[in-house]
Amino acid sequence: MDILLLILIIPFVFGVVMFLMPLNFKFLQKLHILMSITVSAVLLSAVSKIVNGAELSLFHNFIFLDSLGAIFLSLIAITGLLVNIYATTYMKWELEDGHISLKEVKNYFALSFIFTWTMSLSVLCNNIAFMWAAIEATTLASVFLVAVKNDKKSTESGYKYIVLCSIGLAFALYATILLYSAANGKIEGEAMLYTNLLANAASLDPMALKLVFIFALIGFGTKAGLAPTHTWLPDVHAEGPAPTSALLSGVLLKCAMLGLIRYYAIVANGVGFDFVQSVMIISGTLTLFVSAFFLIRQHNVKRMFAYHSIAHMGVIAFGLGVGGAIGLFAALFHCAAHSFTKALAFCSTGNIARIYGTKDMTKMGSMIRIAPLTAVLFGIAICSLVGVPGFAIFVSEFLIFKAAAIGEQYILMGIFAVALAIIFIADFSHFFLASFGKVEGKVEHNGEMKLSENLPLIALAILIVSFGIWQFDSFTFLLNESVKTIIKQ
Amino acid sequence: MANIIDILTVLMMGTSFAVFGLRQYRHSIIAYALQTLLLVTIFLALYVKYGSHELLVWSITAFIIKVVIVPLYLLSLVKKLGVVVEDEPVGGFFISPVVALSFSLAVAMMFYKVFIHFSIFKDALPLFAASFIFMMGIFGFILRTSFIKQILSYCLFENGIHLSLALMAYTSHELVEVGILTDAVFAVIIMSILAKRFYASYGSLDTSKAVNLRG
Repeated sequence: MDILLLILIIPFVFGVVMFLMPLNFKFLQKLHILMSITVSAVLLSAVSKIVNGAELSLFHNFIFLDSLGAIFLSLIAITGLLVNIYATTYMKWELEDGHISLKEVKNYFALSFIFTWTMSLSVLCNNIAFMWAAIEATTLASVFLVAVKNDKKSTESGYKYIVLCSIGLAFALYATILLYSAANGKIEGEAMLYTNLLANAASLDPMALKLVFIFALIGFGTKAGLAPTHTWLPDVHAEGPAPTSALLSGVLLKCAMLGLIRYYAIVANGVGFDFVQSVMIISGTLTLFVSAFFLIRQHNVKRMFAYHSIAHMGVIAFGLGVGGAIGLFAALFHCAAHSFTKALAFCSTGNIARIYGTKDMTKMGSMIRIAPLTAVLFGIAICSLVGVPGFAIFVSEFLIFKAAAIGEQYILMGIFAVALAIIFIADFSHFFLASFGKVEGKVEHNGEMKLSENLPLIALAILIVSFGIWQFDSFTFLLNESVKTIIKQ
Repeated sequence: MANIIDILTVLMMGTSFAVFGLRQYRHSIIAYALQTLLLVTIFLALYVKYGSHELLVWSITAFIIKVVIVPLYLLSLVKKLGVVVEDEPVGGFFISPVVALSFSLAVAMMFYKVFIHFSIFKDALPLFAASFIFMMGIFGFILRTSFIKQILSYCLFENGIHLSLALMAYTSHELVEVGILTDAVFAVIIMSILAKRFYASYGSLDTSKAVNLRG
């Protein structure tokens, strides 16, 4: 069977199967891990075909996988798998503490496959309207991963999530309709297909394209967490269970960013790169400074990381704004680096919340003594998030500086450096407070998690360091191919 | 034919104001069903005019889902919750429709002039109506604090988008409409479940009470 067809079928079927399973936690746990591994293996097998130069498409090019899609599909596969494995441990704790019922755990596992399915679909759609529908479906599939409990805060976060993302994405749908309308009859072939639109971008009305890009930025930018429409993100990421936050921040935001990057490519090739770069610089700078400001004030560890997600979406936007082959390479690399880093960051907050019974960092302390491994993992996440050399995010941030230097955009370099410096100071002060300070509150679980429970986190940490030190040829190939497609070298 | 479409779109604008402004949930939902019926009629009128097979498929699916299923579902939700009249909106029952109407008219005036440059359908009034209905939906979210009214606002801007889709992109694949409609149905169902939970937690549908997560 065609590999793309398998991707379209398997996660959905697994989600339905999980819904039908009996309420036995050990069984559900094993099944969840097994099915997650299967899904990831299928996704990665499609990615490997792209790395080997294959061209994958289905239903007359309605569904396709290009190198750009392959980057994001590999994030769904790798980050998704590790977070899903950690989720079984996290749910076990929640179940033991009586915070959640077994039925809710089963629903969570089942919905996580539906969520993976919608995210994969959003990556694979060549039809831009269907891509929009898939991205909207990711919101719908993940609402009850966020609002997993039946209490006030959970309901409120679910409400904010669906309402704000749906309003935002409505603008993206308008962008889709306008783009189709502007292209229909003026380009060769079906005007709803991204590949056709990109190939014929130069023949489209420049004014229409500019308007389309502004609508797309509002729409996908809302979902991706770009300021000023980022307001849903801290509430939702902070309130959901740790694995949900990891999935939302690590993978979902990137899927919305992919939607925006596809529009970026079309519009840049239609009206020139200056316009899209200027718009992305404004968006990126605004996002970076808004998030840096809120980041300093946060003491809730999950809210802090949520503002971090916004900041790093700002970094990606900034990379797209600086532009050029290196800037685009950096922005795409940052998507992967941030995915692994943020997954580790949010998963480690699961451990931390279990140890202290709170998310307030002012009540933590001595983590290095209580749970040394968790403290180290937390430290690795922080080091990467602030761009310490040797960790994945440093690579992309350094490349953005390099791209700006080559383009002699010294003012942009200064702005970027100031924003990163604020984030750096805010993060390390919080990290030292939690890891080395005195315990101000109480310690509910005085000890480290089991090694087996920390394995997915260790794997994420290894990925972060590996991507910071080594160059993976297959991944670099995908990045270079994607950059070539966008700037048509 | 253009005259009929003009009349139908003006009627859609009127119903969008009714969905927004009527205080009783039942009346608002019925106004929404009526508006969607007008939308389906426009799909059919455009089908007759352009012979686009896609519009026929859209009209059938939209009728089943948006004229029948969604309004019935919302009516049963209102009945289950036992709510009749919505809570006081932002600015009050008189001011909020005036604000929404004037701003929606202003934004639509701006948008339709841009849209008409590259729309397949070149008649100004329907394009104006599509933007107006979309904006009424957006203002519904901003100004009406009732959860049910916000679900209806979602449905409203959905209808605005569908009208734009029919006017500007009716030659696109049938599956596009089906995909968007499926999303809309699931969104309404999910929002309804959250509305039930919200009512159970807060004892009201007033979303301005949702302030637990601010900061």
